[in-house]
Amino acid sequence: MQAALERVLAELTLGPELELGDPKAVADFLGRCGAAGVDAEALTDGGLARLMIYRRLVRANLWSALEQAIPRTMARLGPVFEEYFARFLAERAPRTRYLRDVTRELLEWCAPAWREDARVPAWALDLARHESVQIEIGAMPAAPPAPAREELALERRAVFIEASRVVRYDHAVHELLDDDEDRTVPARRPTALFVYRSAAHEVRYLELTPLAAELLERLRERRLPLGEALGEACQAAGHPLDDAVLEGTARVLADLAERGALRGSEP
Amino acid sequence: MVPNGLGLGLRWEFLEEVLEGPPLDLAFFEVSPENYMRRGGYFPAALEQIAARYPIVTHGLTMSLGAIDPPEASYLRELRRELERLGSPWHSDHLCFSTAGERVLHELLPLKFCRENARRVADRVRAVEDALGRPMAFENISYYAHPGRAEMSEAEFLVEVLERSQAGLLLDVNNAYVNGLNHGYDPRELIAALPLERVVELHVAGHTRLPSGLVLDTHGAPVADPVYELLEWTLERTGPRPVLLERDHAIPPLTELLAEVERLTVIYERATAAPGACRASGA
Repeated sequence: MQAALERVLAELTLGPELELGDPKAVADFLGRCGAAGVDAEALTDGGLARLMIYRRLVRANLWSALEQAIPRTMARLGPVFEEYFARFLAERAPRTRYLRDVTRELLEWCAPAWREDARVPAWALDLARHESVQIEIGAMPAAPPAPAREELALERRAVFIEASRVVRYDHAVHELLDDDEDRTVPARRPTALFVYRSAAHEVRYLELTPLAAELLERLRERRLPLGEALGEACQAAGHPLDDAVLEGTARVLADLAERGALRGSEP
Repeated sequence: MVPNGLGLGLRWEFLEEVLEGPPLDLAFFEVSPENYMRRGGYFPAALEQIAARYPIVTHGLTMSLGAIDPPEASYLRELRRELERLGSPWHSDHLCFSTAGERVLHELLPLKFCRENARRVADRVRAVEDALGRPMAFENISYYAHPGRAEMSEAEFLVEVLERSQAGLLLDVNNAYVNGLNHGYDPRELIAALPLERVVELHVAGHTRLPSGLVLDTHGAPVADPVYELLEWTLERTGPRPVLLERDHAIPPLTELLAEVERLTVIYERATAAPGACRASGA
């Protein structure tokens, strides 16, 4: 009985709008949800109409959570975003008990379709990811710091703070104004950023050169020892592993250490 | 234990002001742990500092106590960690459901008033208490429509869940008032029918009337005068309890909220000092 009523409320609030004036549509809806007997009678007899207020409440709450996270993407996409929001609710719906994670779930679900949809500009997914990564890194759990030694060496793995990540975009969305009204089209340019949370809990990012991006991905995401990461990164970026690279690497890592994003190396 | 008296729902809009300002004349703060657990950064760090200065009570949003499916073990583990971190004497959530299978609706949806649901919720409450390692309380929600055909009244449903579980009752006075307006009953009759000795905390908040006449529990306006009156009437019967002012939308400056707390304090002191007060607590 409760299972059927859960389906009724979920479909009524998340699904396509039910035509309450169509008795057959209502009967089919209740049948699909498994509502029967006195409950189905009460729902048919005005109950569904009264429950429709929850459609408004559920949608307003989820919409508001998304507006907190990706306001610029939503403003730029307008009705197209509304359409994807409705489809997400009807076809997938949030699975997380944490409201702040609904944005991530929606973007993961939308990404394949946005890439195929001519109405969605090519930069939209990059902008949405850039907006949401601020919340993601800002809220990322701080695991107890792993033991680390200060000095880095070629044979050791680097230890970064948990709240950091290398992100890549096809567009320079990080250069856009933080303004919901701005409609500037971002430059199409491969972009890599190192995003991290500072000791003062602010989310900051550094734009990376192609070589630095290759290197930090190997150090941070793949956890390769420094020497191996450097060799692979130079190969991937088509750059000789020379003194300039070694000096540049030392500068980048020292900067990250000074910012508190790089803690040192594994003992 | 949380001292009786007036508390305030801690909101991010004035977190910094609480942290950096002078001590406030509040018995406690209440927080929704889902907003702080499984996350790092500024907000949990700030909350930790506030918890060192004020008692904290936790009040959850997404337990979905009444759903068919129980909350995941990982959620309960995280929640337990957070409650231990904050030292909350009990944890409360709402007598409702907010999940349907895997789908999470992030809204307090009404349960059918029936014995089957009362039994399941009572069993769920006991299991959750074991998982959290501390007592649970549940809150009477505002509901705008009843799903299906009710087998009993709202008061009978609340009593049934209380009798079948050992849970405390978080009595939301505004919800009782709003439900009374929307469903045509006297909220005093509902409250009088409850075992008031089980009340561990009281909530008050503001509400809004839609053009359709439906009254929504928005937590987006000051507490209405009739709710102040109902709170006083209720406190005369429960005796001293922690009383919380909730505000979640259109949050005014902290000074305005504290002015509301002051008005509530006057009522609280008058009600709990009244001859014949404290009947429920036997004090």
